[in-house]
Amino acid sequence: MGRIVLAAFAVILITVLVMNAPTTTSPTSGTSREVQQPRVEEKASLRMLQAKYKTLSKQLAQLMPNQPYILVDTARNRLYVKRQDEIVLDAIASTGSGTILDKPGEGNDQWIFDTPRGEFLVQSKITNPTWIKPDWAFVEEGLDLPKNSAERAEPGVLGDYALGFGKGYFIHGTLYTRLLGKNVTHGCIRLNDNDLKGVYKLARVGTPIMIF
Amino acid sequence: MNLCAILLLLAFTTPGWGKEPEAFPDLNLADGQALKEASRVLEEEVKLAARSQTYVLIDLATKIIHIKGRGMDLHQIPIISWASNSHDHLKGIHKLTMRPAVVRRKIEPGAATEQEPIAVDDMPVDYVLTFTPALTITVVPSASADSLLKGVVFLGKAWWRQTRSLAGTLFSDQSSKQGGQLQLTVSGDHAQSLAWSLVDGMAVVIRRASNP
Repeated sequence: MGRIVLAAFAVILITVLVMNAPTTTSPTSGTSREVQQPRVEEKASLRMLQAKYKTLSKQLAQLMPNQPYILVDTARNRLYVKRQDEIVLDAIASTGSGTILDKPGEGNDQWIFDTPRGEFLVQSKITNPTWIKPDWAFVEEGLDLPKNSAERAEPGVLGDYALGFGKGYFIHGTLYTRLLGKNVTHGCIRLNDNDLKGVYKLARVGTPIMIF
Repeated sequence: MNLCAILLLLAFTTPGWGKEPEAFPDLNLADGQALKEASRVLEEEVKLAARSQTYVLIDLATKIIHIKGRGMDLHQIPIISWASNSHDHLKGIHKLTMRPAVVRRKIEPGAATEQEPIAVDDMPVDYVLTFTPALTITVVPSASADSLLKGVVFLGKAWWRQTRSLAGTLFSDQSSKQGGQLQLTVSGDHAQSLAWSLVDGMAVVIRRASNP
């Protein structure tokens, strides 16, 4: 009887020991795993955030022009040709005066002589350009609009070159070099002869023009 | 073989070579929150830079307003201090409803004297910009940068603005419709420069910071 009780006690003891074995043998390892796990997750999350940030930085960098571009600061009347961060050409310009002129017989419609702001492209490159005077040039002088379009042509006032960037706006030369550095134009961008030649050489059709 | 080895060696030893673009050089890459915010801004910026337009990035972390195009920095305006009522409303892309008003001089047809052009000095130094989705940015000049008289005027205006804002909050539900409100203090010259560079409909994205 005593042997049977002893054997049963031994079986129970062994069973209890075996059942408790994993928790009792390494109590510290379980605790350390609980502490380390969030750290590993945090590190993985941080790595993911870093990777996302780097990918987006690259995407943004890829949108930047890898060819020279023209930058125009209308507040300070400066024109730059830049290649990434490098300034290739720095010129004093004249940009839009911001004045207004009423359009004849069109209610409250007005011309606003601002240089347009934003991003544009060089659309045309012209040598020995002739100015085709728009309506405002006649209205401003108090003249009637010409019936013959040939009367609008005025050669020799835009310099040797002109670079068109849409809607009748050009980068061109000027006879009034003393006004460079001032906001005096009807929206076009004026340069002196040397700078105009430099811009003409550096720019191609499709060169971006950033104006602010 | 030797040439390849030399080129590889040069690529790894020359500073800047193989350097990855960093959109925010000030960013602490070990700061998860800052990384999340930078990535959020970059996601918005990639969308803006993909289009032919200029846009504004107001970086409250570095206290710089960037006029940008295609991801490139075109012009920077330093912020002296800033304050905001809510961080959540500053998220996303906001479009400027209207640029600050300026008095434009009208050309009299046939007049002998030319009209004075508008210049940066004609732009306001103290103005409110409204955006869609709802966001209001108040630009105020720093009193320290101006004369004592201007400082007194500025303080009076600030007091009036606060009183109006408080009255609006108390007596109407206007404030909830206004969305986020951000106040930027810049120097008088920079306030005028910013007003000059803005155009109607211009997109603005804001990089938030925890502390002003």
